Amino acid sequence: MDKQYKVVHCTINGKKVERIVDVRASLTDMLRNDFRLTSVKKGCEVGECGACTVIIDGEGFNSCIYLAVWAEGKEIWTLEGLIGPGGELSDIQQAFIDEGAIQCGFCTPGFIMTSWEIVNSGKEYTDDELRKALSGHLCRCTGYENIFRAVKKTMLRHLGKFEEAEKVNSQGITEYPEPMPFK
Amino acid sequence: MATQLLMAKSPAEAAGSKTASAAFIAGGTEVNRLGSEVPAQAETLISLKKCSGLGQIEKVEKGIKIGSMCTFQQIVESEIVPDYLKEAALFMASRTKRNMATIGGNIAALRSDSYLLPTLFAVCARVEVLTPDGKQDDICVNSYKEASEAGKDMLITAVIVPDNVKVVSKRYSNTAQSHAVLTMSAAALEKGFTLAGAIKNCGIYRFKGFEEMVRENPDISEEEAIAFFKGADSLKISEDMFGSEAYKRYLLGVTAYDFCRKLAGKEV
Repeated sequence: MDKQYKVVHCTINGKKVERIVDVRASLTDMLRNDFRLTSVKKGCEVGECGACTVIIDGEGFNSCIYLAVWAEGKEIWTLEGLIGPGGELSDIQQAFIDEGAIQCGFCTPGFIMTSWEIVNSGKEYTDDELRKALSGHLCRCTGYENIFRAVKKTMLRHLGKFEEAEKVNSQGITEYPEPMPFK
Repeated sequence: MATQLLMAKSPAEAAGSKTASAAFIAGGTEVNRLGSEVPAQAETLISLKKCSGLGQIEKVEKGIKIGSMCTFQQIVESEIVPDYLKEAALFMASRTKRNMATIGGNIAALRSDSYLLPTLFAVCARVEVLTPDGKQDDICVNSYKEASEAGKDMLITAVIVPDNVKVVSKRYSNTAQSHAVLTMSAAALEKGFTLAGAIKNCGIYRFKGFEEMVRENPDISEEEAIAFFKGADSLKISEDMFGSEAYKRYLLGVTAYDFCRKLAGKEV
């Protein structure tokens, strides 16, 4: 039986595009091979590691198990789309650098895309909720504490809680001064 | 090997296109993963992504009706889905995967480490199906499993779960992301205690013998529960990388005992 191809129209990082793809191709393959968006990493290819995470219509998806043809009419964002017109990094990317949340860097684009969704949600996540929201990503360098801290600080800054963000300690816990004892 | 993809626009088109050499693809977390046997065996994949009418969650007379293409995340975020089903959906730790995986796909995959099936078995959930000749039916999830294993082609269009039952569930895995060696659920239904489990590499079971034992003697001891599963010859349990047969039988026993106590409101 012959291979089947389809035309896909979608918006990638704010730009309308169209491509002819093999119906069996994953979105990861389309983004990497056709658009050279190599921040989208091929990790496990079973949807467990989260290295291929992209944002589709505002929600994070594992692009390795998402068919390219399903992207028809969708708005897709990858890490490359977060960079400003002058090459400046977004605040979540800068936070990963500032907090040392990068070691080998392979999981980083996926983590940042999910983090971007979190910090732009306008919701204040508890520490537990934040850990659960990030649990679809695996970091084999085990840099989870630094990643957690980067996301928590950026989330608080997005919510206008700048002082609270500065109080997030190395364990990712927000430190408050001891209450004054009653006299 | 699958080379064709049909983007079905309606459940009738999807069900009518199902042949022995075709397979349905719902959220993609099972069929699209590396190593999946489905695309290797099927010639055509029938995508349900664009199917209309399979994505609603609504209250009906028998409980809550969930469209088969509703994702795990939609279930978690819904205000009307009962908490016990949300708990089962949250067994899938990855939110990005929950955005993709569907309730219908998880049932149809019949995985031995299924996230939802033990819970759906325990509450005797109903499944609405559509056959290739256009016949609609409403069957219990256990009957769906038997018919599906017998090779009958059916498209799941909705799942109906009761909304006012007490359910307890537990999943044993090394990490939140790992495959579970055992997922179990028990429910206190009107007809009495029900217990179901998914044992990795062995299958999904409703433990009717244990249910009868508990109905006769609600105050069974932990030793009795362990002994029941140790001697349950009808359960074909194998030794593998997830643990020995004895370990899996022991887990079944202690978990079943804990569930009995929890449902009776006793301390565990």
